[in-house]
Formats: sequence, C-alpha cells, structure tokens
Amino acid sequence: MVARLPPSPRAGAGGGAPAERPWSERGRRLLVFAALAAALPLALLAALTLGSVPLPVGGVVRSALARFGLGGPSPLPEMGEVILWSVRFPRVLIAALVGGGLAAVGAALQSLFRNPLADAGLLGVGPGAALGAVLAVNLGWAQHRFLAMPLAACAGALLALLLIYAIAHAGGRPTLSGLLLTGLAVSALAAAGTSVILVAIEEFRVRTVLFWLAGGLEGRGYEHLALAAGFVLPGTLALLLLARPLDVLSLGEEEAAALSLPVHGVRIVVFGLCALVAGPVTAVAGAVPFVGLVAPHALRAVVGPLGRHLLPASFLAGAVLVVVADLAARSLGQYTELPLGSVTAFVGAPYFLLALRGQEGRG
Amino acid sequence: MSAVIEARGLVVDRGRRSVLRGVDLALGAGEALSLVGPNAAGKSTLVRALAGLLPAARGEVLLQGRPLAGWARSALAQRVALVAAEDEAPDRIAVGDRVALGRYPHRGALAPMTGEDRTAVARALRQTEIEHLARRPLGTLSAGERQLASLARGLAQEPSVLLLDEPASHLDVRHQLHLFRILDDVRQRGVAVLAVIHDLPRAAAWAPRLALLAEGRIAADGPSAEVLESEAAERAFGVAIRGVPVVDGPERLWRFEEKS
Repeated sequence: MVARLPPSPRAGAGGGAPAERPWSERGRRLLVFAALAAALPLALLAALTLGSVPLPVGGVVRSALARFGLGGPSPLPEMGEVILWSVRFPRVLIAALVGGGLAAVGAALQSLFRNPLADAGLLGVGPGAALGAVLAVNLGWAQHRFLAMPLAACAGALLALLLIYAIAHAGGRPTLSGLLLTGLAVSALAAAGTSVILVAIEEFRVRTVLFWLAGGLEGRGYEHLALAAGFVLPGTLALLLLARPLDVLSLGEEEAAALSLPVHGVRIVVFGLCALVAGPVTAVAGAVPFVGLVAPHALRAVVGPLGRHLLPASFLAGAVLVVVADLAARSLGQYTELPLGSVTAFVGAPYFLLALRGQEGRG
Repeated sequence: MSAVIEARGLVVDRGRRSVLRGVDLALGAGEALSLVGPNAAGKSTLVRALAGLLPAARGEVLLQGRPLAGWARSALAQRVALVAAEDEAPDRIAVGDRVALGRYPHRGALAPMTGEDRTAVARALRQTEIEHLARRPLGTLSAGERQLASLARGLAQEPSVLLLDEPASHLDVRHQLHLFRILDDVRQRGVAVLAVIHDLPRAAAWAPRLALLAEGRIAADGPSAEVLESEAAERAFGVAIRGVPVVDGPERLWRFEEKS
C-alpha cells in the first residue's frame, strides 16, 4: 500500500508556482476589487466632464458638492449646469446601471448554463426583449403606461430564455455549440417577429419604435434612470443573494441535486431575475452586446468562479465598460453619435472570437 | 445489525423501462459493500435511487428506518453523499471552495459558514490527503487528484452513507490504492460505504461483502469470493470465473475466461 502520495508531477503546473501561497488569491482579488472600485468613479467623472462641451473637472466636482449644500455655489455657468445635470448625469448613471446589470446577468447565466461564454445577447434575450417592447408599442400599451414597455421587454426576454433552456436542455447537458445555435435560432425568430410588427405598425408609432430600436443613451433622462435603477439594482442584489445556489449549480445538475439544491426552481428564479434586469436595460438602452460576456469572462480568471466574488466584480467592471463605451460613442463621431451597441460590439466581438478559439482548443 | 440504508423491493423506471425490478439490499453502519454487475445492469440507477435522486416506482428506500420520501431534501443530503465518476465542476474553482460546497445541505443558501463548516472541510481535505491542493484551481489537478477532491466534497457533507459510482474508473493503480485506503478509513469511522466497482478483482479485494446486480435484481450478495465464484456471477457476466487461492494469504487471484 502507498503510505502517502507525493505531489503529482503536475503539481507545479501554472508557472511553477509553489502550492503554498496563502495570500496570493485573496490579495489578487482585493487588488481587483480595489482597482474596479477606483475605476468606476474615475470613469463616471471622465464621462461627466468630457463631451462636445467639455466641463472643468473642478467645476463638476464643486457643482456636485453644491447640490449637497457643501462648499460654495457652483462655479459652472448656467449652460454648464444644464448640460451636467439634465443631460450628462442621468445618462452616465444609466450607462453604469446598464453595464453593471448586463454583466451581472452574464455572470449568472454563465454559471447557470455552466458555460463561460454564455451571454444574454447571444442567448436571444435582447431580441426577445425587443419583440416584447415593440409589441407593447404596437398595441398602444406603451402610450398609456410608462412601465408597459419595459415590462413587455421583461416578458419577451424571459420567454426567450425559457425557450432556449427548454430546447437546449432537451437532449441533456447543452453543448456550447448547441447553446449558441439555439440562441441564434431564437434570436432570428424574435427578430422576424419584430420585423413583421414593424411593417404592420401604425405610422405615428414608428418614431417611438425607431428611437428605441436604435439603442444608445442619447436623450435619456431621469425617468429612464429611475426605470433602470428600479429594476437593475434589486435584480442584481437578488442575484447576489443566489450566489451560493449558483455555485452549487455550477457543479452539475446531479451533484447539485444530491446536495439538496432544488435545481429547476433555482434555474427558473435566476431566469426570471435575469429577464427582470435585462428586459428594462434593453428597453432603456437598446441592444448593448457582449458586455455580459466580456466582463464576467475576463474576471473569472482573476477573481475565480464563485458568485459572491464574480457577481459584484462583474457588476463594477460592466459599469466601467459601458460608461467608457458610451463616452466613446458620443465623442468619436464627428457630427453624430455612434450607436452604443456598435462600440461594445467592436470591442466584444473580437474578444468573443478569441475566447471561443481558446475554449474549443481546450476541447 | 440495523441497516442505515435499505432498499426494499425497489423498482425504478427510466422512461418506460424498469431498470431496477425489485432490489433488496441493506447496509449497516461502518460496512463496506462493492456493487458489481455487467453493463446496463442498473448499478448507477441503484446508487442514484439510494441517494434519493430517482423516485421509486414501487418498493422503497429506507434511511435510518424511515422512507426517503419522509426526509427533507437537506436532511437527506446531510446523511447521504453521492460521489460520481464524472466531475463536472468548473476548472477555475479552487479545490477548497469546491469541497466547501459540500456544506450546502447544512448551511443553505444564505447562512454564513460557521466554524463547524470550516472544521468539516478541513477534515475532509485531511482525510483525502489533498490539503496541499486546497488553493489550486481544479483544472490544474490530475484525474486522480480531481477524484479525491470530489470525494472530499462528499466527506464534507459528513454523511452516514457514502455512495460512489465507479470512483476508480479513471485512476491508475497507485491512485486506486490510495482511494480505496481512504474509503477504508472512512468506513472505520462508522460510515456505510457503497461503491460501484467495475474491476472485479479490485471489488473483491476492497470490500469483504460484494453484491451482484444483474438485470435489475440482486443476483448474489455475500462474502466477496463466494459471490464472484457463484454461478450467478458466471451467468451475469457470461464468462467463466475462477479464484486461485494465493499460498500465503486469504486473497485470491482471479481468472476470467470467455465461454465458448
């Protein structure tokens, strides 16, 4: 009998690091959180000051302090005050909420589908939400109730998720390609539905729909901010409370069930929360692809896959990403804004392709 | 000896087919049992039914004398642990975190880990002798180490019944010996250990008691050598089985020959 196994020959794999590194992981994690926590206010400040009308950093900070009755009166001219508080402030915060919400949803879906490349956009959530929203406009609900469109977007997103779940899981554990192809099919279906509705839509409603389908954050104000905050913050918090069940679920359906996790119940609740976040986000900002994929995928490597670390880190990183992307969207174009979704896609799509190659390479 | 876990006339259907057709099997505290049988005999199904993952169509499974249906899920998972051959945990999870998820039945979704939990996790890592791997991502482990991490998760549940489905199927001989020695330790601490084992000599060498499952029923159950040499075993596997006593010990060398 073997008394005790010596460390396997592979023990030193991964850069020849010794096995005992008591502080390295926690230290790295703290560093990442500190960096993200510092990056978000910096990105917000940059986005508030930069733009077609640049505002001085000191002026912005003092104007903000003045809002809270601190320091003297705001040094900004009246025009600057208007730009800062009526235009940029809600827009920048919406960008942060959109990015944070999408990234948290992406992290949850990646755990749920046990696939590090799952994302709300690739899983047809966006097109599903779009279909729901356009339907709400077409039927005239959106005119009467402000909440009708985002709620319809939630319903569309949830429907898309459930559909993909049912189809992809029909043959046991879904493979990556199965998942992506199902997402593609459901997206195409939802987009087809949207097109049909667009053709049939009454003319006076077309403007509403086009404004919405174009996406981006141009012209979004406090009502949109309230909408985004009202769904994203509670939804993300609820996902964070489900961090441990998500961790257990990531061990595989059977092991999770053997550990007494109600597998289907958890999945349905997580889907519901993802739709609750992604639906209104899509209703406010249109499609913002790849944020939900890039942020959690990149962070998984540095903070690990546990939900209690990955979800908050993803939220912060996604917020930074979209704040910066929105700043780029309104700064890079000469006379007009670039679509926000295009900016994130320019960054996210190459990342996705590289990550896909990496994953397929590993088999 | 009163049984910790017991199947009585257990019938389990998968789809329209009855995979188990009336299994009677009982296991006492601190007892080790090798479950053997040809492919598709229903071994994995039986293990999963004992863990409460598959419902009984007829008959029942009793845990500490009470039908599984009468146990809350978490209470059941505090007493019965299942370790499968395939480990589907994400590659990036640290071994220690993976093992700590075995405390889920005790702690639930929200309650923070207590000292008791940390002690159980540390003990499981020590018993499986992978303490030095606790901070390593699962993906950097060898197949043998990964299997030990799975086992440690099961031990962290602090079960009275440990069920293993082909725990050694991916392991080389050194890791097999290591694994079965650990299972012996676990058994000596009073845990009932049932392992599905494909390799018949290994099954006979590890546990004094062997149960043969064939066509959804227990075809033989008793001392390992007797069961392997029984006519039931020859019929179930369709081969001639002969045990050759070794000169200086109670073990046997086993010979298997195709029947012409």
